[in-house]
Amino acid sequence: MSVGGGGGGAPSAYDPKKLRMYGLVGSIVGIYLGSILNSALNTEVFSFVGAIAAIFAVVMGANSVRRICAYGIGTGVPSIGMLALGMGIIAVMFGLSVAETMGFGLLGPIITLVYAGVFGYIIGVIANKVIKFNIPVMEEGNADLSMAGALAILGWSFAVSGTLGYADIVNDVLMTGYIAIIFIAGGLAILHPFNACLGPDEKQDRTLVNAIMVGGLAMVATGIAALATQGLAAGLLQLIIGFALWFYFFKMYYKLVKRDASAVVGTGLLPPTVQ
Amino acid sequence: MDAFSMGLVAAMGALATVAGASEDIESDIGSQSNPNSQVQLAAQVGNPHRIYNKAVSGEPPANALWAATAAIVAYTLITAFQMPALLALVAGASVAALFNGVFAMSSYFGRNASQARFNQWIYLDIVRYTTPSIMAHAWITSFCIATISYIMVYMLPTPHPFPMPIIALIWGLAVGAIGSSVGDIHYGGEREFQNRQFGCGLNTMLSGQIVRKAEAGLRNSIDNAWFCTKFGGPATGMGFGLTVFLDNWRTAVFDPVTQASYAIAMGLFFIIVMVIYNNYIEKSLRRKYGPYPEYKGDVAA
Repeated sequence: MSVGGGGGGAPSAYDPKKLRMYGLVGSIVGIYLGSILNSALNTEVFSFVGAIAAIFAVVMGANSVRRICAYGIGTGVPSIGMLALGMGIIAVMFGLSVAETMGFGLLGPIITLVYAGVFGYIIGVIANKVIKFNIPVMEEGNADLSMAGALAILGWSFAVSGTLGYADIVNDVLMTGYIAIIFIAGGLAILHPFNACLGPDEKQDRTLVNAIMVGGLAMVATGIAALATQGLAAGLLQLIIGFALWFYFFKMYYKLVKRDASAVVGTGLLPPTVQ
Repeated sequence: MDAFSMGLVAAMGALATVAGASEDIESDIGSQSNPNSQVQLAAQVGNPHRIYNKAVSGEPPANALWAATAAIVAYTLITAFQMPALLALVAGASVAALFNGVFAMSSYFGRNASQARFNQWIYLDIVRYTTPSIMAHAWITSFCIATISYIMVYMLPTPHPFPMPIIALIWGLAVGAIGSSVGDIHYGGEREFQNRQFGCGLNTMLSGQIVRKAEAGLRNSIDNAWFCTKFGGPATGMGFGLTVFLDNWRTAVFDPVTQASYAIAMGLFFIIVMVIYNNYIEKSLRRKYGPYPEYKGDVAA
């Protein structure tokens, strides 16, 4: 018996193609919206839009972890989450620096996305053909994961720095060390949902709600970082919206847990065995 | 080398020892990391239990998250709000502990809800009294690691060039990896399978057959903390404390800029000594206790 709940793919109520589309469009549009609002109104208050945009990408990434790992990769869940962010951070640095060198700073997210997709697909091909994982959705899933990781890092980096300029992100996010929390909280937001819900009775909606919940928590962390880089108003706004998202979706998660569990009891002895 | 920097290195070693011990006990209370697979399997092979199932991720990423959270909060408070370092580190560790509580609870809920077909219940009393204990240990770990990073960046005579949150992330990964490889064996091998002969190893047919009943009543995760505090926790503390102390000692004694080659040679020397010592321990253990008898059915403990 595999800890991951048996091979053959995960049953899903939400189609992965639709989730991918919502994830990519939601997060790209969100990052651009935040960036344009910030520069048009000459403020940094709208950085929180980038942080919310990253959550769209996280949901897509969590769904892709779920699809790949349902093939019985139980202990590989954390590794694949770290892989997603590893691929993502390379794509973000590449995309932003190329866009800045070309003189079109605003093209950064698009270049990042394309690079991440191709890069992830190649890693997926290597995993399947060279390391011989033989998981049917590996190539597609790895491309999804790479794009999700890249957009999560880009969204939260924008939330901390307030602009999409390569030099600003290097100064505000990398040199201050805030990339540490973006990397690890982003990684956990992608890997934790499926890891926390692992088991034969895992349900897609519960896993994805967990992803939004952890995304809210990561937004609280970027809000704290934004206090230092953008000042009190922008930081606090992000922190409060992150907390509200976390609170709402934690309650929803608990509701779904009560729906799915065999019993939620105050206390008691061991339950009768079902075998 | 001066007395001040050697004192700082000693303080870092002491903090690391505490961090290692608390990290291991935190993961044992929650049954994180490799022993977790047995807790997870238990219900699936017909042994529903009352043990906490905190599957946040492997220990290294999880501890990296707590340590990095504590460090970014402290760093923000120190640089942007000019708060005294000690208060800022305390505030950072508190935020990290809250994060830890959320992750721990969501794993316990999620994992047990996903085992509905095996009738694994979710006990709210376990959540209420075990989660604060996990959070308290995470507080100690993240406070110690954030303090080590603070000392390395702001107090040592030759400060580390990396920013504080990155160093906390790396030490968090390190403490998680050491806890996972040193302390978890004590919990997984000797506590979960306490009713088997000492040193018999884990036969595949024993998978999931963990001890679910305690000396009195049902076993819970606080009992496991009590057990692991006796050996697994301190051993992990020693492992991580030595790692931090020896690593910083060589750069405190030899200047990392002008005498870099001596510092590297000293590091290689430490590694060789440890490999020889580990080899000796393993051989002497096998001589004294091995070879273990073949598995011939259950043997009373």
